[in-house]
Amino acid sequence: MFERSKKDDNGVESQDANRAASDTTFGSLRSKVAGRGGDAAVIGRSIQINGDLRGGEDLRIEGDVSGTVELKNSALTIGKEGRVKADVYAKSIAVDGETKGDLYAAERISVHANARVQGNIIAPKVSIEEGAHFKGSIEMDPAAVEKALGKTVAENKSGSAADAKGPPKKPAKDARTNLNPPVGTA
Amino acid sequence: MPPDSPAAIHAPLFQDLVAGLDATRRHVILDLGAASTAMLALLGRSRCHVEIADLAHFGGIDNLNRAEPGPALAEAAESVLPNRMTGDAIDFVFCWDLPNYLTLDAVSGLMGAIRRRARPGALAHALIFYADRDMKEHPGRFVPTADGELIDRSAPGPTLAAPRYSPEDLGKSMGGFMIDRARLLSNGMQEFLFRLGS
Repeated sequence: MFERSKKDDNGVESQDANRAASDTTFGSLRSKVAGRGGDAAVIGRSIQINGDLRGGEDLRIEGDVSGTVELKNSALTIGKEGRVKADVYAKSIAVDGETKGDLYAAERISVHANARVQGNIIAPKVSIEEGAHFKGSIEMDPAAVEKALGKTVAENKSGSAADAKGPPKKPAKDARTNLNPPVGTA
Repeated sequence: MPPDSPAAIHAPLFQDLVAGLDATRRHVILDLGAASTAMLALLGRSRCHVEIADLAHFGGIDNLNRAEPGPALAEAAESVLPNRMTGDAIDFVFCWDLPNYLTLDAVSGLMGAIRRRARPGALAHALIFYADRDMKEHPGRFVPTADGELIDRSAPGPTLAAPRYSPEDLGKSMGGFMIDRARLLSNGMQEFLFRLGS
């Protein structure tokens, strides 16, 4: 069962979450899905969460999330139906839906076609597909990216029960378009 | 090139501007158009901080044109620009063809807001309909080629009368950005480079 301020079986934690759906629907949070986003927990379309969402495994959001999302060592996918109004911290972030807030990723951020993103993007690698709608800023200066990500990690370590270990300094090589040079090599 | 591909536009002032990006220096760039992979890849060659307003898709054009000159327009102009992550002054502004879709008051309000974020000497690039009496109903989606030419990837559609702003009109309405250079392009558009006075 998904409970307030408690980690569920998969390590996904939520504080002050609104229980806007039945137990059956919340069960989908623990279900695993295959496909883009891989083997990830899912926040289903009918679920609304207001508060801080933290976890230690990959997550796909198809519902509404407001607050803060922290998946420091995991991948976050915001699906086509997903609407996130939050600052987001993750190892990698892929957006197909809508976000309003700043996105921080230790490795990469991908904004896919038809996604709608308002906020700032900070990651060593960023890709924005044609057809995506984006309003905000993208930091492409490797030194500034590293500084911003480092500051974020430090802030979270000094804050509440963060599970962050900090972003890896040398992101994995990726076959997709690399708009930003990897940190430390430019 | 596929037969239906739009022709690349040779825009020498845009090319000069991009060629002038110093890879060793940090540049702050404001793009009033939509994000494009090609543009970001081009800017990614240097240490850029890119701010993207995407006026056409986030309601910026309507908000600016509807606002009454004065405090309401100033507020609208601030709201259509992205929230800032840094206090670093803007070095370059890419306006594309968006000024054609704004009233001169709206252009003035917008550029005034940009001036407050820009450093003295900042450059603004714009494409103004000049020879043709009509323009597409919606702004173009210009993406650069690897060698700095421009391709308008917007879909064909209805047209409307182009305002065909004169250099004098623009000179008075660019919020302190003065005409630095201008070129007439092969597609009938006038390419402008404006420079912010100190």
